[in-house]
Amino acid sequence: MLKKIQNTCLKHKNNNAFFINGTYYSYLTLTQYISNVRHIVEQNHQAGSSKLIGVIANDDIQTYSSILGVLFSGYGFVPINPTNPIDRNESIILQSGIKIILSSADYQDLNKLNNFSQYKIVNTLQLENVEPDISIPDICEDEIAYLLFTSGSTGIPKGVPISRRNLHSFIDAFFALGYKLNEDDRFLQMFELTFDLSLMSYLTPLCIGACVYTVPSGEIKYTSIYSLLEDHNITTALMVPSILSYLRPYFDDIRLPNLKYSLFCGEALYNDITTKWSKCVPEALIQNVYGPTEATIFCLTYDWNKDKATDKSFNGIVCIGKPMNNIYSIIVDEHLKELVEGEKGELCLSGGQLTPGYWNNPEKNKEAFFKYTINEVERTFYKTGDLCFIDKEGDFMYCGRIDHQVKIQGFRVELSEIEHHVREFTELSQVAAIATTDVIGNTQIVLFMEKHNEEYEELRNYLKGKLPSYMIPAEFKCIHAMPLNKNGKIDRKALKNYL
Amino acid sequence: METEIIEKLNITFRKVFKDPEIKVYPEMTANDVEKWDSITHVILIAEIEKDFNIKFKLKELIAMKNVGDCIRIINEKLEN
Repeated sequence: MLKKIQNTCLKHKNNNAFFINGTYYSYLTLTQYISNVRHIVEQNHQAGSSKLIGVIANDDIQTYSSILGVLFSGYGFVPINPTNPIDRNESIILQSGIKIILSSADYQDLNKLNNFSQYKIVNTLQLENVEPDISIPDICEDEIAYLLFTSGSTGIPKGVPISRRNLHSFIDAFFALGYKLNEDDRFLQMFELTFDLSLMSYLTPLCIGACVYTVPSGEIKYTSIYSLLEDHNITTALMVPSILSYLRPYFDDIRLPNLKYSLFCGEALYNDITTKWSKCVPEALIQNVYGPTEATIFCLTYDWNKDKATDKSFNGIVCIGKPMNNIYSIIVDEHLKELVEGEKGELCLSGGQLTPGYWNNPEKNKEAFFKYTINEVERTFYKTGDLCFIDKEGDFMYCGRIDHQVKIQGFRVELSEIEHHVREFTELSQVAAIATTDVIGNTQIVLFMEKHNEEYEELRNYLKGKLPSYMIPAEFKCIHAMPLNKNGKIDRKALKNYL
Repeated sequence: METEIIEKLNITFRKVFKDPEIKVYPEMTANDVEKWDSITHVILIAEIEKDFNIKFKLKELIAMKNVGDCIRIINEKLEN
């Protein structure tokens, strides 16, 4: 992958690599910035210390150059979202063991870290220009390329390391899908950098010399996305399906004849809205792609086809298709026995894109991974927690989640993590976070508590200090007695009737 | 006309953001209201459309950088 980016930096140096907040940056500029970061990282890294480097994820060229600079220096990056509570970020920093943090803006909260002086904070806005160097580092494929943190049920974010091998396997499989893309293409990048879908949105265009258009932070996202798509004739856009729910009232006004590939990932994609969207993007191939962070960005794809829409959906959800190159996917029952066509069970994944395992978390690894022999080779499989079945043509049909995990704006959320923090603060035992659908059909969280007074502003503020904004419940409801099922557990279905 | 629109918008904003104290002003943006994100924006727009009996176009929403733009667009629609 770095070889590809190196090639484009040399071959297309006058092409634009990024368009960020109204400014274009060429591959030549990018090469310079990458080299500057690489130099400072190599200079500051002490032998024997962590090979992971923190990158404060802002929406600017310095942040993207920092990520690439870290990769070119042979280390792995850990993106840190500065809008998340510092408690959460501190947990990420401590867990990953990073000592160097690259930041393009004054991130005041960093001063609040315990033992602040042990960290080397590099301001990437003030780097001196060095001799450009984007030579390929000589490192092992098992080295970590990036470490992302997802919601964990114990209240502590869970680290998912992705190796260079994993990332390269994704890039190879992505380009093997046969997209007709080249240096004239323009890609949308709408994701926060702590979300792995962002990597597809900026790394794949950089591999071919195309330009990445980033959605400005701090604006109403769906209108910004539409402006970029229309004003800059974007040709490839990976989006979360919830963007379609926002744009739906305006579909009649939307026409994007230049969009060639309209990809969706991160949440269930519904057939009815896709059919309507297809009229807005008459020339585009609409593709539903699927994959957990543990299997590197995405690993199954389905080319949506209007004529087959009904056959290739389940409960209105568009199917997720077939595994990409070098991916093994099976459906198993609760005893991990492989199921056959038509039988519903848990989707499990293996292959080149599969993470080596959760970061320093043997307990979770034991739960989520297992060995299974396929084609006479024993492989490690990951249990996705997604309920699926395989249809007659070998396509995987998505039926929903098995556990209490939900997707909010594409982010994976363990409802139990929210409940954990609520219990910590309120000392109540009976609390339940429930996912429901809001007026425009997007998932939102409602929190139920068994108590008598309706005061929850303090709790809301407490949660804001512990959780990212997408995990803060949209509504808080107090009830006198939590409905329980036969096993004495909170009856979540009954709670939904209160809404 | 503008004051009338502002008065009416106050009612809509108070309803959507569940905040009886909220007062709109032309320079106000989503950054000034804590709960104003993509989701509440959709609800806000839908409520404004209902309360004023108008319909925005996507282009108008894109052009709306603050409440002042919104007032101007509502005014234009009510005059036509």
